[in-house]
Amino acid sequence: MKKGRRLIALALAAALVAMPLSACSDNDSDHAGSSGNTIKVGILFSESGSTALVEKTMTNACKMAFDEINKSGGINGKKIEYIHEDYASDPSKATEKMKTLIEEDKVVATVGCYTSASRQATLPTLKEDNSLLIYPTYTEGEEVHPNVIYVGCMPNQQATEFVPYLLKKLGKKVYLVGSDYVFPKTCNKQARALVNMYGGSVVGESYVPLGGTDFSTVCEKIKKSGADFVYSAVIGDSNTAFFKAFKQYGLDAAKTPICSIGIDESNLQAIGADYAEGHYASMPYFSSLNTAASKKFVQSYNSLYKDGTKVTVLTESAYSSCYLLAAALKKTSDPSDTNALIKSFSGITFDAPQGQIKVDKANHSTWVFSRFAKIHNGNFDILYSSKSAARPEPWPSILYPQYKSSNFMPSWSDPKCYPQ
Amino acid sequence: MSVFLSQLSNGLNQSAVLLIATLGLLIIFGMMGVINMAHGQMIMIGGFCAFIFTKMFRAPFLLAVLLSFCFAAALGAAIELTVIKRLYEKPTETILATYAISVIITEGARMIWPLSQNVAMPLPGVLKLGTVSIPIYNIFMVAMAVVLLVMTVMLFKKTKIGRKISAITQNREMTECLGINTSAIDTFTFSYGAGLAGIAGCVLAPMVGVSYNMGSSYLTDSFLTVVLGGVQSMVGAALSSVLIGEGRTLLAGILNDTWGMILVYFAIIVLVRFRPEGLFAKERR
Repeated sequence: MKKGRRLIALALAAALVAMPLSACSDNDSDHAGSSGNTIKVGILFSESGSTALVEKTMTNACKMAFDEINKSGGINGKKIEYIHEDYASDPSKATEKMKTLIEEDKVVATVGCYTSASRQATLPTLKEDNSLLIYPTYTEGEEVHPNVIYVGCMPNQQATEFVPYLLKKLGKKVYLVGSDYVFPKTCNKQARALVNMYGGSVVGESYVPLGGTDFSTVCEKIKKSGADFVYSAVIGDSNTAFFKAFKQYGLDAAKTPICSIGIDESNLQAIGADYAEGHYASMPYFSSLNTAASKKFVQSYNSLYKDGTKVTVLTESAYSSCYLLAAALKKTSDPSDTNALIKSFSGITFDAPQGQIKVDKANHSTWVFSRFAKIHNGNFDILYSSKSAARPEPWPSILYPQYKSSNFMPSWSDPKCYPQ
Repeated sequence: MSVFLSQLSNGLNQSAVLLIATLGLLIIFGMMGVINMAHGQMIMIGGFCAFIFTKMFRAPFLLAVLLSFCFAAALGAAIELTVIKRLYEKPTETILATYAISVIITEGARMIWPLSQNVAMPLPGVLKLGTVSIPIYNIFMVAMAVVLLVMTVMLFKKTKIGRKISAITQNREMTECLGINTSAIDTFTFSYGAGLAGIAGCVLAPMVGVSYNMGSSYLTDSFLTVVLGGVQSMVGAALSSVLIGEGRTLLAGILNDTWGMILVYFAIIVLVRFRPEGLFAKERR
C-alpha cells in the first residue's frame, strides 16, 4: 500500500516536471536540422499565463504567414525557418527569450510581444544586440525605437475619425473610461483633445483597476454625468463585466452607447449579444470585413486552426507583420545586416486582409486603415472604412504640435522619445 | 445624497460578492488551516458549471447553482483525498501543492475553453427606488450571501458533524482520542468549502463572464477578508466583507476605484498590524 502511494506521488511529481520540459522540447524540434539555406526568424508569444489566449492567435497567424511565404518560394530562394519562444506572459522572461533568439538562435528579426510591458522589457536587449522586433499589437504610442517596427495601430488611427463621427452622431457630452494603466490613459488624453477640438465636452473620466470586475461606481457616475456617449479604453475580460453592469444599472445603448477602442471579436462572445447590442468599436480590422482578401484570410485561418481562437485585429496584424518582414528581407542582400534590414522597411507595402498597409518612411510605424463598427446581433457591422490607410502618429500632432510635420525618428541620444 | 444611497447599495452588492467568494476559503483556511491557493480555481469550476448547465443543457439557473456546488465539492473531496491529506503537518508544502493544482486546473480549462464565455443573466431588470436604481440580480446576490452564511453557520452550530468540525479545530489530538474519525471529517470540511467556492463561481458568472482565470482575482480579496474578520469567525467574515465592500465602493464614489482599493488595503494592513488576530476573532483562552 505504501509503495503504491509513493508511486502515485512520484508519477504526479514526474507529470509536473515533465510539463514545462515537453514545452521546451517542442521548441527544439522547431529548428532541428537547420542548414545554411534558411533565414531564421523568431516568433515571441506566450503559450501560458494571463495573456496566452490572445497571443495564441498571434502565434497561429505568424506560423500561417511564414508557411505561406515558404510555399510560394521563400525569400530570394531561401526558406524562412521560424523559431517560436514562449515568454509565459512575463515581461522579464520576454527579455530572456529575446536574448536566446538573438544570441543562440541567431535570428535576423523577431515578430512578437503582445503587452506593452513585454515590448518595453525587450528594448534594451534589442539595442544592445542590434536586432529587430516587429510588434503587431495596437499601442498607445509616445514611443519610437530604432529597432522596432510598430505594425499595430497608433491611437490617432483609432480616434481621429471615430471621435468626430461620434460627436456629430451621438452628441457633445463624452464620458471617458478606461482600465487603470498607460494605454487607456494615453489614448484618453488624445481623445479628450479631439473632443475639445470638435466642440464637445468631457463630462467625466474614470479608471477601473486592470482586470477589475466592479463597474457599479463607474456606471453611477456615467448616469449622473448625463453623457451622450461613453468613450471606453477598458481592456480585456473587464469588458464583460462593464457591458453587463452598464445594462444592469439601467443605462441604455440606444441613448448612451459605449464606444470602445479595446474590444474585438473575442470579447463579443463573452459579453453576449444582448448586452453588446448597439455599442460601437473602432479598430483597423474586423473579421466581418466583407472583402475577398479578408474572407480568404478568415477562411484559411479557421480551416487551419480549430483551437477555439478567433480571428481578431491582432491575428490580422501579426499575419501582416510577417509579410512586411518578408518584403523587407527580399529587399536586403544580406539578411543578417540589421541596419540594412531596418532601412529596407521604409515605405514597404503589403496587401493585408484589411487593405494595403505601408510602413512609414520615417517613424517606423505603419499606415493602417481606420474603421469603426456598430455591434448588431453579436457582430461588428462596419459603419466606416477610410479610403486608404491612415498616417500613424506615434507622437500625435494634436498633443505635440511641434512634431506635426516632422514624422520624426529620434536619435539614440534623444531622451524624450522612447524609454531608454 | 442620492449618490451616497446608490453607492451604499452598490457597496452592499460588493460585500455580498466578497462574502460569497470568501466563505469557502474561510472554512478551508480558517477551520482547517490549509492555505488553499486553488480557491480561485474552485470558483472557476463553478463558473464553468454555470456555463455548461445553463448554456449547453439549458438547465434553470438555480439547478446550475446546486450542480456547481456538487461538482466543486466532489473535486474538493478528490483533491483532499489525493493530495492535501498527506500534507496536513506541512503548511509550506500545502501552499505549493495547491498552487500546482491551481495551475493544472487553469491550464486544463484554457485548453478546453480558450475564449471567455457568456452566461445569460438569469434576473435582468432594474429596481428603481427614487433616484437609486438597483439591479434585481444584486438583490439576489445579497440574498444568496445571507442564505449561504446562515446555512453554513447552522451546519457548524446545529449539526453533529458541524460540532465535530469545531471540536477538531480546537483540539485535534483530543478529538482523535475521543474516537472521532477526524480524517473523514477533514475530507467533508474541505469538500464543503470547495462546494461553496463552486457556488460563488456560479452566481458570479452572469455578472463577469466565465474565463479560465476568473477566480484568481478573488483570491487576494478573499484572504484579506478572512484575515480581517479573524480567521475562525464566520460572522467576522460577514462583517469584514461588508466593511471592505462598503468602504471600497463609498471611497470609489468620492475618489475613484483605484484609490478606493488602495486605501482599503492600506487600512487592512494597519488594522492587522494592531490586531493580528483579526477584528472579530473569538477570544482564546
